Formats: sequence, structure tokens, C-alpha cells
Amino acid sequence: MGVGPSTKETSLHHFRDPLLDVVSKDNDVDLVGIVIVGTPQNNEDKYFVGQRVGAWAEAMRLDGVIISVDGWGNSHVDYANTIEEIGKRGIEVVGLSFVGTQAQFVVKNKYMDTIVDFNKSAEGIETETVGENTVTELDAKKALAMLKLKMRKRADK
Amino acid sequence: MVDSDIKEMRRLVIKSFHITEASFSDKTEIMGQSLYLRKNIVDDITKDEPLIHSVNIEIIKPNEHDRWVNSIMDIIPISAKVLGRLGEGITHTLTGIYVMLTGVDTEGVQVAEFGSSEGILKDKIVLNRPGTPGENDIILLCDVVLKAGEGSFRTGPTAAHRVCDKMVQEIRDKLKKLNGRYCTEKHEFYDVIKPNRKRVAIVKQVAGQGAMYDTHLFAKEPSGFAGGRSIIDMGNVPIIVSPNEYRDGAIRAMH
Repeated sequence: MGVGPSTKETSLHHFRDPLLDVVSKDNDVDLVGIVIVGTPQNNEDKYFVGQRVGAWAEAMRLDGVIISVDGWGNSHVDYANTIEEIGKRGIEVVGLSFVGTQAQFVVKNKYMDTIVDFNKSAEGIETETVGENTVTELDAKKALAMLKLKMRKRADK
Repeated sequence: MVDSDIKEMRRLVIKSFHITEASFSDKTEIMGQSLYLRKNIVDDITKDEPLIHSVNIEIIKPNEHDRWVNSIMDIIPISAKVLGRLGEGITHTLTGIYVMLTGVDTEGVQVAEFGSSEGILKDKIVLNRPGTPGENDIILLCDVVLKAGEGSFRTGPTAAHRVCDKMVQEIRDKLKKLNGRYCTEKHEFYDVIKPNRKRVAIVKQVAGQGAMYDTHLFAKEPSGFAGGRSIIDMGNVPIIVSPNEYRDGAIRAMH
């Protein structure tokens, strides 16, 4: 299992990525960079790359992370693990993923309390229609708003 | 341009040139809002490609979506580096036309990994999304037919991306030479450090397992293939990309 036609982020999507556009324009946050992490095949590697993302996030002294994935099913194992690696370091995390009715998380943890589901299909499924279940500007704005709220709550504590 | 406390690291200028007409011709050329593509270009791009049976290039006009396409492997902008390296300097890009890469093998097996999107084009794509053409855009279709069975190995889809990139490169070479003064739109982007704000990163989990499940980074040209590094070959470990590198087409979706 991996990336279906409807959730696939095409090269054009990356070129005019709405998530990058929304976060980079917001003057309340300092976007330090985009971390690209792969989705390896075996479980040991999945945990390894997630730990490395966590280490980067700590080294960058981050307050918050928005983590997006365009695959689901098996890819959600990596996703959940990486979120945990970031969250347990005291860094706020908001996720973006296709969930719908078909892609309920196979594994979950306490840091996955704010996930923006970018399913757009009426049935909540992988429709095999390119572009249908992908991140739009509105999804990106929701994710950033959630992250800002989480970061503020932590600062108030 | 930037606030006083903000430190500017680098500047990227993307100039777009809008295309409203595309057709085949004796040589590849961009004139005004028209793109001409060399009609025998396929002969050159398929040379030295042993995994490829044939390539079919077509121009699909906005009102011609009631037609068959093989599984859609990627939608790619036509962009070229004019000055500087990826993430800084000047990039030219075409609007109004986007490349659609589709793939099948000689046995009729679609090049896809986790569900495929072959069928009548209008039913297989949602237009006007960040990653898809708009309803008024022209689609430059690059339909690759691989030799039997080659779609299931990493080398097959990779070859399809490579031939498609060779086609785009011929257009890029003309796009680079356009006079920037006559661009349709000009956008400036900055990599900046904003002190005393909440520090935030975007993490993108991308494909990295094999055939039709790969992601390339840092090709020579924006959203290109040649010179790109596979996330699989880099061990799938996290790689840092600056916002400007990202918007300058650092990522090629190989899935």
C-alpha cells in the first residue's frame, strides 16, 4: 500500500504547494525549512527515519511542526511513528493526511489529536481520480491555525 | 521588501510566460503565446532507451477531455533555470500548458502502484487543483509504452520520467532564452529568517519504496528529472529543503 492516484502530490503540486505558500506568508511564524522524509519498506527503517526527523526537529529548536503525507495504509505506520518522535520531544505537531472512511489510522498515539483530513470525495475513499483528495489552501490554513493555537496554549502553561 | 528585523537569505524570481496555443512544427519554438513542438522529437528522446517500446506525444486542448488516457504518472510544470542555482536567481515557467505523463506496457498493464487512473480523462482528473491543470489549460501528453513487464521494476517508470524530461528539456532550452521583460507575470520569493517568532518546520513524508514509489530531489532544472537524487538511494533519511528551493521545483514526484 502507498500513494493512490487521488492523494498523489504531482510535481506540479510540489511546485505550487499551498501548504508552503500559507506557512511562509504568515508573519507570526518563522518557517525554518521543509523536511523531506521517505517511506521505507521495512519496519526497522520506518522507525529509523522517524527518529531522525525527531532529532532534526529537536536540533532546529522547533516550536511546532506540520507534517503532511500523500500516502496512506502502510504509510501511516511511518506517519504515526514520526509524529510520536516529534511530539515526545515537547514540540507541537499538526498532521495533514487523507483519512476519509477508507484510511482510518492503522496505528495511533496521543500526539495525533489534531489531524486535518484532506479527503474531498463524498464516499471518503481513494477514488482513483488524480487531484481529488489533495491538500488545498483551505486545508493548509486549517492546519496552521491549529498549530498556532497549540503553540499558544503551550506557551500559556 | 522585507521587515527590518527579518534577515533575507536569498531571492528567487519566477517569471511566467502564458501559452494559449500549442501545435507540432518543424522545430521547437516559443513565439508570443504559442508553443511549437518539433514533430519528430520522439525519435531523439527514445534513442538509447532499451526499456521503452514507444512514446506518443499529443496536445490535448481544454475542450478535448472526453478521451482515453493511460494511468497518469505525473503532472509536470515546464520550468527552466535561467540564472543562479535552484532556489535563487531567475526561473522561467510556462503557464497555460502542463505536461501529463502517462504509462502502460505492451501487454496493456498500467504503470501504477496503488490503484491506477487510466480511463476517460474527464473522469480521471479533478482540474483546478494545485497539482492539476486548470480547465482552460492545454495538456501536453507524453504517453510512454514500456516493454512488457517493465512497469513493475523501478527502472521502467524511471525511464518513462527520463524520456519525458528529455522532451521538456527541448522546450526549456527555448524558454531560457525568452526575454524576461516580456513575461506575463513576475513573482519574487525570499528565504528569510524571522527572529523572535515561533519556529516551525513543514515535514513532508514522501514515497520511497521502489517502482512507482520514488521521489527525486534537486534535479538540474526545476521539477526536472536529470541530475535528481532519489530519496530511496539516500536511504529515505530526512533531507532539509529551503522554502525557495522547494518552490523552485526541488521535488519530482516519481510515483
